[in-house]
Amino acid sequence: MNNSFLAYIQKLEAMAFFSGYALVYTVILFILGNRRLKGKLSDRIISFLPTSYALISILFLGFQLKKLYPDYSFEHIQLTIQQPFLIIWGFLPVAFLIPALNKRPVLSLLHSCLFFYFVASDLFFQAITPSADNNIVKNDMRVLAASIILNLVVPGLITMLFLTFNYLKKHKPVIVKKLVNSSFILSLFNSKNHK
Amino acid sequence: MNHTCPSLNCKIPHHTFDNITQITNQTNIMKRFNKILMIALILISGVGLVVSCTHKNDPLPASVVTGVKISHGKHIHLAGMTLGDTTQWKFDKVHSAVNWSSPFLEVGADLTGKFNQFGIADLKDALMQNYNTTKQPVPDTSWAFYENEPAKTHFAGYIQTNQVNTGEPGRDGGCLITTFGTTKIVAGTQNLTVSNVAHIKTTSVAFDPLSNGYIATFDFTWQGGGSAQVTQSISGKLTYIPETQVPGATYSDFGLKLEFQINKADFGINNTEVADKVNIVVNANFNNK
Repeated sequence: MNNSFLAYIQKLEAMAFFSGYALVYTVILFILGNRRLKGKLSDRIISFLPTSYALISILFLGFQLKKLYPDYSFEHIQLTIQQPFLIIWGFLPVAFLIPALNKRPVLSLLHSCLFFYFVASDLFFQAITPSADNNIVKNDMRVLAASIILNLVVPGLITMLFLTFNYLKKHKPVIVKKLVNSSFILSLFNSKNHK
Repeated sequence: MNHTCPSLNCKIPHHTFDNITQITNQTNIMKRFNKILMIALILISGVGLVVSCTHKNDPLPASVVTGVKISHGKHIHLAGMTLGDTTQWKFDKVHSAVNWSSPFLEVGADLTGKFNQFGIADLKDALMQNYNTTKQPVPDTSWAFYENEPAKTHFAGYIQTNQVNTGEPGRDGGCLITTFGTTKIVAGTQNLTVSNVAHIKTTSVAFDPLSNGYIATFDFTWQGGGSAQVTQSISGKLTYIPETQVPGATYSDFGLKLEFQINKADFGINNTEVADKVNIVVNANFNNK
């Protein structure tokens, strides 16, 4: 096992988190952008996409921290992380929790396109060199499938949470309203943040 | 210049109208971009899916026939002693062997050995005696082989037990002599007496249904450690190595290989140095010089 193999594994790990987002994003935008489906909820779901992408980035951050546990020294980080730029790129979407960036979902699409580019490039090299090992493409496709599921589940969960809180806000008195009106949850689901 | 909005019945400034048109155009461009990007992403993923297809769901190809293809030629080999007659096949004793093996102490790896003196002859009672010769004491002609008619195939053979050779002279000329209930080698003689020979004679030979070989059933007779000869019917696998002209020579050669197993305890051999089951392999070569 050498460093290039570890670097390849880390690339696959990053792709597993982010590569499916571009496809999910464009499909959701295409479906919910349809005039017939246009409505408050569809707008809201679209506006949740960057937030869900940020949450996926937090999951990625947690995954990296878990891998480094229990030694978080600089030497260990340097030794463990073989793809520093890719890992840093993977942490960047946390910034989509900032309202100013959250309003620009296209940035999350552009961010994810890098990871989809890896899939496309592997596919391209497989196409131009048929003798190449197609296990690389197999790995890419498995990782892409996992990523698509992850990127569908996370916005789905956020939407369900939003609907639940919305329902509770309308139908439950006092305690739930206090909870629902708490600043953190408001900041997440405040309609003023999403346009 | 202002535009009139018919639904609200009010005037809208011209620059506001331009802004709305601009935003609508931008939205349309974004939608078109999104649609093209989506199609591209789906296409790339689709191609990837096809390329990475493992075909695990495909029905498996028909299994390769692993059985041995059984085919028997029509070679017939008959024994003879006349040198130069290519129709007569002579036993090539020098290039043949009778080997045995059995797990050491009944648990270890095989202890192996061979018998230095043996022949292909039917040892009738009258022939079982001491011969003052260093050559084969009786003609090695008690055999016939029909490749495609095994019922006609027959053979008989013997070994001299005091000629056992395990590569350890102390053992071969010592304890094994006692174990086999025989006497030591006397130089210049061939001891074919009852106490010193184990001999076989076929009772039937048939095709082996599972291989290209034959199943030979024969009587195995040996006095061993007992006081009288014991005869036991044993089956073994007989393999024919077809006749082939020896490269660079004017004669041909063929081989017969007989593999079988005996239980030494059945013949009164009770030592525990080796296991009761003893595997015996006879490699016999014949030529028509």
